[in-house]
Amino acid sequence: MSILTYIGIQGGSVRRASLEVLSQCRKLAAAQGLAVEAVLIHPQASDFVAQVQRYGAQKVYTVEDPIFEQHLNAPLVGALAAVIEQAQPRVVALASSEAVKDVLGALAARLDAPALADVSSFELTEAGVRARRPVLAAKFIARVEAEGQPVLVSVRAGAYDAEEAPAQAEIEALPFSFDEAKPRPTLREVIGASGGAVDLSEARYVVAAGRGVRDEEGKKLIDELAEVLGAAIGSSRAVVDVGLFPATSQVGQTGKVVSPDLYIAVGISGAIQHAAGMSNSRVIVAINKDADAPIFNYATYGLVGDLYVILPPLIEALREAKG
Amino acid sequence: MKFSVCIKQVPDVAAPIQVRGGELVHDTGRLVLNAYDASAVEAALVLTEAHGGEIDLVLAGPQAGQETLRKALAMGADRATHLIVSEEADLDAATYAVLLARHFDETGHEVILCGKQAQDTDAGLTGAMLAEKLGLPYVTNAVRLEQEGDTLVVTRQGDTGQEVLALTPPCLVTCSNDMNDPRIPTLKGIMQAKRKPLDAREADLPGAPRTRVLGYENLPEREPGRVLDGDPADIARQLANLLHSEAKVV
Ligand SMILES: Cc1cc2nc3c(=O)[nH]c(=O)nc-3n(C[C@H](O)[C@H](O)[C@H](O)COP(=O)(O)OP(=O)(O)OC[C@H]3O[C@@H](n4cnc5c(N)ncnc54)[C@H](O)[C@@H]3O)c2cc1C
Ligand SMILES: Nc1ncnc2c1ncn2[C@@H]1O[C@H](COP(=O)(O)O)[C@@H](O)[C@H]1O
Repeated sequence: MSILTYIGIQGGSVRRASLEVLSQCRKLAAAQGLAVEAVLIHPQASDFVAQVQRYGAQKVYTVEDPIFEQHLNAPLVGALAAVIEQAQPRVVALASSEAVKDVLGALAARLDAPALADVSSFELTEAGVRARRPVLAAKFIARVEAEGQPVLVSVRAGAYDAEEAPAQAEIEALPFSFDEAKPRPTLREVIGASGGAVDLSEARYVVAAGRGVRDEEGKKLIDELAEVLGAAIGSSRAVVDVGLFPATSQVGQTGKVVSPDLYIAVGISGAIQHAAGMSNSRVIVAINKDADAPIFNYATYGLVGDLYVILPPLIEALREAKG
Repeated sequence: MKFSVCIKQVPDVAAPIQVRGGELVHDTGRLVLNAYDASAVEAALVLTEAHGGEIDLVLAGPQAGQETLRKALAMGADRATHLIVSEEADLDAATYAVLLARHFDETGHEVILCGKQAQDTDAGLTGAMLAEKLGLPYVTNAVRLEQEGDTLVVTRQGDTGQEVLALTPPCLVTCSNDMNDPRIPTLKGIMQAKRKPLDAREADLPGAPRTRVLGYENLPEREPGRVLDGDPADIARQLANLLHSEAKVV
């Protein structure tokens, strides 16, 4: 009996969120006397095995096929379903991402398995899984339960810490076959994001811009602040709407969930749908000229004032502090 | 093209909602059309206005759901089906997907649109579950939807960028609210909606859901923060110090 973790690969490396989930699965498995296994699905899946071993997987399934170069839901559902049927795990845990959200429902239906999406914590029970998940734009926590085998669980980024625990893993390469005749979407084009240098969902520091950032000058200040900190750039829906920031940078209920050590919200009012994506950050700084803005309810440190006036000396002071 | 839009009625997150004894207590008078589904209805309206076609709605939910169906009819959809389930039934995405799949098996379907997620559960499961049950190709998290002859061209928001995909009906697409701004029904629309066909019938439940909510809790409170007000250069320097020596993040 095992717990199986799907290891996502993004931009040529293993997603940290997947290692967080793998670390948690290792602990749950140890407590229950289960094996912890991982699956890699990628054109060069074997290149990532060593990294997965470092985080304690006892067995690693690999599925290699050129089709996995780009994200496509139909082959990914097929590959995952095949691995799960082979491994017969009690639980399949996946770090949540747009790619995982794209396939989780179809996978659950294909395997006739219950699914819990975007949990913030989970544990095993006799009959399945018990978990906590933020609901209603992360205003509340629902305690939920799923009964069955396997149970599919997707886990929010930042829910657990990634901790190394090297293990000698057995490796099993599984063949991939795919019914080419079945109708499926055809990929025409991939439009890459022109976001910051650091990936948002993995970042320790995030500088996020809202409607208060209204022009290229403001954007330049955000870029500079992010650069000083080595931060990724996030945004509210308002500035994505007007095309000032790319959609991949949107944080919130529709956008990404982040939980960095430091989140600096600049000119963001703090609507509940935005907070849904960032309220779990460790230290939150809010810079807003309206002292009554709801973002201050989340802020560890709140600065009341005009961002165009506050950011230049802040960038300067941080540059000095970093020396 | 013929569009079938799956819509859900959800509590208004802007209304007061409380947890009492592990249950969510909200004003039952403030149930609304799921925002993501409103975007799906809007997308269907834009395409049928440009290329012709029709729009069916389907909603599974308690009696009160009828109001939400009328609202989407008032936006401009043509007809609606209400699969009535009892108020007490605590149903999960998998159960709704079964009800919807049975409905479409009966009525047939061309393009099915769903929301990317329901605002209350934030699950985002039903669309792809339904697609799999009906054996349909699907795209989730669409931020743009276009029609080229009998092909749908969908731009989806992925993790690091956007993917442009083409698919031909029958198919299913789940819509992000980043796709459009749903129209507000006009008075004329509201009047017309009263006369549009709405077929309501009791849904036959497929057995106990395998996922369920045990109870609700409030979020743990964040420690109250500190507000710095005053000379901009001053508070900027204070913040840099605090981040360094107190919060120890930089
Ligand atoms: C279903 C749904 C899902 C949504 N999902 C998301 C999501 O994922 N992410 C998201 O962000 N939003 C989302 N939204 C939208 C959300 O409700 C808000 O509309 C949005 O977050 C507002 O963005 P904002 O704070 O940048 O803009 P505003 O609310 O307009 O706030 C701008 C703020 O900037 C301040 N400001 C202005 N000028 C300055 C200045 N010079 N210096 C300092 N401060 C200044 C103002 O005081 C104000 O507080 C969603 C909405 C819905 C209905
Ligand atoms: N009870 C329902 N009736 C009709 N459509 C639904 C229902 N529940 C979910 N859906 C559709 O599935 C989408 C995703 O819901 P969920 O999986 O609950 O996040 C919604 O945006 C709707 O389009």
